[in-house]
Amino acid sequence: MYQSFIGLEIHIQLLTESKVFCGCTNRFGDEPNTNVCPVCMGYPGVLPALNEEAIRLSYIVARTLNCELSPRAIFERKNYFYPDMPKNYQISQFSSPLGRNGWIDIEYAGKPRRVRIHEIHLEEDAGKMIHAGDMSLLDYNRAGTPLLEIVTEPDMEAGEEAEILLQNFRRTIRYLGVCDGNMEEGSMRCDANVSINLEGQGLGRKVEIKNLNSSRFVKMALNYEITRQKELFGKGGKIVQETRLWNENRDVTEPMRTKESAHDYRYFPEPDLPPFIPGAEFLAKVDKGLVELPEARKARFVKEYGLSAAAADFLVAEKATADFYEQTVKLGAAPAAAAAWLQFDVRKILNRDGKELADCPLTAGRLAQLLSLLADGRIHGKIAKQVLEAVFAEDKDPGQLIKEKGWQSMSDMSQLAALVDQALAANAAAVDAVKAGDRKPLGFLVGQIMKQTGGMAEPRLVQELLKQKIK
Amino acid sequence: MESPFLRWRNFLSDSAARKKYEDYVKAADAKVGAFLEFDADRGLGLVSDANPGADLAGVPFAVKDIIAVKGFHLTCGSKILENLVSPYTATAVEKLIARGGVMVGKTNLDEFGMGSSTDNSALGKTNNPWDQGRVAGGSSGGSAAAVAAGMAAFALGSDTGGSVRQPAAFCGVYGLKPTYGAVSRYGLVAYASSLDVIGVCARSVEMTRAVFDIIRGQDEKDQSSQAGGSGPAAKNRVIGVLGGNLGLDPAVDRAYRKTMDFYKAQGFELREINLAMAEYYVPVYYTIATAEASANLARYTGVRYGYRPDYAENPEELTRKARSEGFGSEVKLRILLGTYVLRSGFQDQYYQRAHKLREAIRADFDKAFGGAGLILMPVFPTQAFLRGQSGLDQFQQKLADRFTTAANLAGLPAMSFPAAVEDGLPVGMQFMAPAFGEALLFDAIKLYEAQFPCPVPPSYKPEWIEGS
Repeated sequence: MYQSFIGLEIHIQLLTESKVFCGCTNRFGDEPNTNVCPVCMGYPGVLPALNEEAIRLSYIVARTLNCELSPRAIFERKNYFYPDMPKNYQISQFSSPLGRNGWIDIEYAGKPRRVRIHEIHLEEDAGKMIHAGDMSLLDYNRAGTPLLEIVTEPDMEAGEEAEILLQNFRRTIRYLGVCDGNMEEGSMRCDANVSINLEGQGLGRKVEIKNLNSSRFVKMALNYEITRQKELFGKGGKIVQETRLWNENRDVTEPMRTKESAHDYRYFPEPDLPPFIPGAEFLAKVDKGLVELPEARKARFVKEYGLSAAAADFLVAEKATADFYEQTVKLGAAPAAAAAWLQFDVRKILNRDGKELADCPLTAGRLAQLLSLLADGRIHGKIAKQVLEAVFAEDKDPGQLIKEKGWQSMSDMSQLAALVDQALAANAAAVDAVKAGDRKPLGFLVGQIMKQTGGMAEPRLVQELLKQKIK
Repeated sequence: MESPFLRWRNFLSDSAARKKYEDYVKAADAKVGAFLEFDADRGLGLVSDANPGADLAGVPFAVKDIIAVKGFHLTCGSKILENLVSPYTATAVEKLIARGGVMVGKTNLDEFGMGSSTDNSALGKTNNPWDQGRVAGGSSGGSAAAVAAGMAAFALGSDTGGSVRQPAAFCGVYGLKPTYGAVSRYGLVAYASSLDVIGVCARSVEMTRAVFDIIRGQDEKDQSSQAGGSGPAAKNRVIGVLGGNLGLDPAVDRAYRKTMDFYKAQGFELREINLAMAEYYVPVYYTIATAEASANLARYTGVRYGYRPDYAENPEELTRKARSEGFGSEVKLRILLGTYVLRSGFQDQYYQRAHKLREAIRADFDKAFGGAGLILMPVFPTQAFLRGQSGLDQFQQKLADRFTTAANLAGLPAMSFPAAVEDGLPVGMQFMAPAFGEALLFDAIKLYEAQFPCPVPPSYKPEWIEGS
């Protein structure tokens, strides 16, 4: 029997206003070489100045992932030449990274698993080189973007497990608001490493896999690689320690040119930056950035609001949704109703319109108002759905919309009784059928009254009156 | 007290004075070769608020061409940056311009500050104003020569292992190497980041002090800079001096004795100190400096700026050609050395070991300053040397850095001063002080200056130089 060992190296770009060592805007998608200055372009004579926001976000991640914090984090130069790297060394951390020995808990195959974090360090991202025909084009907008690298221990064994860890991690960083976790745009990137060995023999020869642009590719590439190595091992072949690239067109890993692997990075402490010593004041600021994580929040939702696991899962997937939900409940909405509306009606509209909850006309206040109108019987269920659509279409409060459109429920008993009498008189055959024991025409009669009132009659009351009168 | 800039104030605001000055610089620099670029107009253009009352109003100063000044070249004396015009200005220069100072030109240097003669410049030759056949010293040779010949009131240089003090000594002017971190390095092109500091060349102690007071201070753009405060108080009147055979040329040895005699006569106690780590200064310096240089100079590839070969097949070849054609041999040697000492598996033996020794050197000075208030020592074992066979080769020049590198390794302030003129050439001595003790240096050297003022090179005596 074989055992496989998977570790991940995850890079996330931190959501700071400016770059990590200069004041340039940190933003994806701008015109090439517009967010640059002498510092991030590596002009002679410039110096890096550490962005406090970047280091604060880094420590928030380190704390969240249960790391031991270095009392003295040291920046070092990692030396190698590449045209997209302006200084031809990357300011990174090596001997004393800011966080070490943490963990992420996940659930895999129905069991809880703890994946250890080897280290977390802060570094600067490089620019981008694009080859176009016989030209190489360089864009340095990304150069100097704060990049946090999270290195796990080889504690996973299957591609599926790595995929779950990545999804879990992605949700966590989005919760923390430190990164948008967009693997397609590259704000979150992942390299994987895997080795296999006979059970009980410990780690085998490590193979690294690069070019993994989604968590699905991470899973596929790892499973492909495990199978490949097992087959090779079984045939008595030797596994080479190497770096391979995932080919997403052919669904295979392929060896990368070995030239790249012979690097000696010649790390040494960055003389331009003093060691970072996290003081009490700084750590207090870090603690302010800590939030309740999705797993804990889910458990609390089930317990506190009596939600099903599925409903809670849906609500906590995005922090914005969970915050919106709690705000709605805080404003008086019934927890179950608020959950159901967010999960079904609201989500349907958002999906249809391609909108985000955080950026749409519906606010927690408006949803709470709608649900209270419904609970008080001032509108009924079908109208409530109409009101919701109207909120999205017209960007107005539910109360105002109901007034403007005359959508209040008709619940005056004497008024309704008159309508029922009219309907009974006009539909003698249906009345007879009901009296004979067929309940179906009852619905037809309700429908007639609803039609007559333009849908405003409270259907529950209409039904009650009909039953009384036909008896 | 009278302003040390008095003779130069509003110099460039007066058209007659300015013409006389510019004509003089043109004639003098044809022989000296201190400037790589001279343009008073452009310098005046950098002064945004020409307040005639500002303390540096209209005062011409020069800057070593390894310090950035917007709109001026930033060549570092190298072919690889020959065409680069700086898009920004160094903090130290900005401060001087804000006081009304006029940055008139960029001075020659050993390529990227690597050398002791300024002959390692790829872009020009600088002669010593005292003897055209001799070097001006280096690496800030252009700055020292410009000030010595009266072509600027003062000049900024950079000192990584003696590069302000040694040329100042060779040219007979004052040369200050401040405490590491006292002056922002923002805009100083890095040679060895943990050793580099911007320094001052001037013809008087008070001018040196005034310039230092302007350029010093913490800068958010340089996180290794410090405010420094008022510095340590004068502790005692004990001056530490070196004993034993120092390997000095006779003229330098005579000058050392002369200064010791002077201070003794002034009532100072001279105490011989034992600097146990002295034999390690040069090897430790060259290990650390070259290691840092190998990374600092990696950015010059011709990709974004600077020298570019006519043709390259791919980015790797572009980089290779730009560097092999653009750098001079001394720079290549130091990059190779630095790369070598940082190799994985060898760091313990070289780079890490050098760091441990550097700590021991610091401790050695802490101990020395426990007893002495100041340390007096030579700057260089020889006077300005000749070019060619009879001069010093590159290896001898490195060995001769043994008196200057200590202050950089320990991060301490040091200042060289003209101690004597022997055989028609100036000789410099230097004081070292505890960290942020620049004022102690100025005060001590001022005593000497009162009796032995800054000498004037016989062929360069413009009327605006004191003593001409």
